[in-house]
Amino acid sequence: MAQAAVQNFKPEAAAVHADALPWLTPAQNLSGDGAPAWISALRDTGAASFAVTGLPTPAWEGWQYTNLRPMTADGFRFDAGGDVRAQDLPEALLPDSHRIVLVNGRLRPDLGTALPDGVKLTALMDVSEPEEELATVGDLATSPLLALNCAYMRDGFVLDIAPHRDIARPIEILFVAAGDAPATYPRVLYRLGENSGATLLERHSGAGAHLTNLYAGVVLKQAARGRYYRFIDDNDAAVHVSRTIVRSHKASDFQGFSSVSGVAAGRQEFGLQLLDRGISSSIGGIYMLKGRQSHDFTILADHFDEDGTSVQHFKGVIDDQARAIFQGKIHVHRPAQKTDGYQSHHALLLSDQAEASAKPELEIYADDVKCSHGATAGMLDTEALFYLQSRGIPAAEAKALLIRSFLNQVLEKLTHDDVRALYAARIAEWLGAEVEADMAEEDAA
Amino acid sequence: MLKIENLRATVADREVLKGLSLEIKPGEVHAIMGPNGSGKSTLSYVLSGRDGYEVTDGSMEFMGQDISEMEPEERAALGLFLAFQYPVEIPGVTTTTFLKTALNAIRKANGEKELDPASFLKLQKQKLTELGMSAEMLKRGVNVGFSGGEKKRNEVLQLAMLQPKLAILDETDSGLDIDALKVVADGVNALRSPDRSFLIITHYQRLLDYIKPDVVHVLAQGKIQKTGGAELALELEKNGYADYYGEAA
Repeated sequence: MAQAAVQNFKPEAAAVHADALPWLTPAQNLSGDGAPAWISALRDTGAASFAVTGLPTPAWEGWQYTNLRPMTADGFRFDAGGDVRAQDLPEALLPDSHRIVLVNGRLRPDLGTALPDGVKLTALMDVSEPEEELATVGDLATSPLLALNCAYMRDGFVLDIAPHRDIARPIEILFVAAGDAPATYPRVLYRLGENSGATLLERHSGAGAHLTNLYAGVVLKQAARGRYYRFIDDNDAAVHVSRTIVRSHKASDFQGFSSVSGVAAGRQEFGLQLLDRGISSSIGGIYMLKGRQSHDFTILADHFDEDGTSVQHFKGVIDDQARAIFQGKIHVHRPAQKTDGYQSHHALLLSDQAEASAKPELEIYADDVKCSHGATAGMLDTEALFYLQSRGIPAAEAKALLIRSFLNQVLEKLTHDDVRALYAARIAEWLGAEVEADMAEEDAA
Repeated sequence: MLKIENLRATVADREVLKGLSLEIKPGEVHAIMGPNGSGKSTLSYVLSGRDGYEVTDGSMEFMGQDISEMEPEERAALGLFLAFQYPVEIPGVTTTTFLKTALNAIRKANGEKELDPASFLKLQKQKLTELGMSAEMLKRGVNVGFSGGEKKRNEVLQLAMLQPKLAILDETDSGLDIDALKVVADGVNALRSPDRSFLIITHYQRLLDYIKPDVVHVLAQGKIQKTGGAELALELEKNGYADYYGEAA
């Protein structure tokens, strides 16, 4: 399977440098826009790095299977213009939630709601002295997409939750793409103060082709409780690439989840950094892909200190010629004794040409740890299918029921019932389209 | 109700049924007994339409229709039901969801109105009470973590809910202790009626102590070798199947 994935992939299409991305607006266009010094510096660093590396090729470690070709298509433009009216925004994910709206990456306070006490929103360009989490980017030479995000740095925000505040209602962060194939490079930081709690619903939506290259930081100070639920509700002409770094401090608790069905191509990287003792950090996700869609979840859980628990729990279905990639790693550093690390990825293949590539990894330097992982890829259970059909359930419906039950199992871990329902609705919507397609196929046969 | 004539069927290109004929009239309970490998389970799968079980000759008529080319769900909609020897576990689908989906699919296929959730739950509760079953198992994934007896009881519950015209019980007694066997048999007996027929497939006579058949057939070498009344089962219990290996060879 892995071999086939490499063969299908045309390295020459991805091995492009900055000058071969026809839509890439020179980053220097941004100079003179009054950005604070730290942003200007990062732009220069990012642009310089990307000019050297170009996009990753399949020869790169960690990029063997990822399909970036849709990203190189002509037409994506930075600052493409385009706007949405308030009445055209999608309805709130949950009633009684607060809302922050970004159109083509730009913060639009006029479209959002007021935020409650204890929540502070600062536009990125207004941050004059960035904290470590905002300005540190790591090694750009191995992260060309992040280098691009730096080169175009302008849009985004810092969201601060004050210490000891529990924000009861969820905060929806809505990214909307509008206009003609916009490319956006937002950078956001969610910072939860000591012993605070918040539920963040980050949603990406928009019609037509667009590219999102997001860098998100989540910081949980001591004993903070963060819930971070992402919804990629784009469409199959969209490209989503993102890196999310979750820095957890002592005794904090993080639960993250992401669903994706609407992308031409996507890659979501999550880095869970368990920096102190007694931390719980989990990330999960579901993907539902068909046609020629491709998506990649790349996860790294880094245990730096004792007594931490990390969980990675992913499932997905792949139909037609779609392709899914899961790369998950648990890295237990030497001081991180009594670590409990778990990772699972299960893929359901609905067609002979669908592909799943999984690369689970454990790297352990401490001796008193418990780490396990499981990865499977399989077809639908024909026995179960027959059992359902023998009870009168038509084949297409039986298939949908089995797929739904397969995916629903990862949702069971989510602590919010209403959030679980939001993800379940996305599964149902995707399956509705599947059942229709199946029935049309049967009728044609 | 069911009329099978000179049926030949293959599994993985091997002929297992070699000219089987059988007729079941409304209200009758037939038992098919036979040694391992005689084609008993194959018959149940051929009748219910499982993939990979291919009819090569002969005919099967159910409710006056040729069912040999029908999908399993179409046969179910006509009123055919197979109680599995090994009921399948379906994690993540609760028994309630499963039953409701099945019942409404059958109603829809027959041009009847689908049951709303309240009417469905009422019906389900009534059947549970009749069968002396706990509501607890309905909330779990279908057959997940069920004991052998619970799985078979779940089959009887489905039977009671779906009210088929012909129920095929494939080795329903296998893996059951005597108490579970009684519960299952009571459930089946409660469903006997002048317009519902049963085909009981079994290796041992034991189940037939509790569900009295009208007709007993001996299946060996892919054919019905002998047909008789309930006394035939007792005879088989005493003499074994050795006679029939000889006869067919």
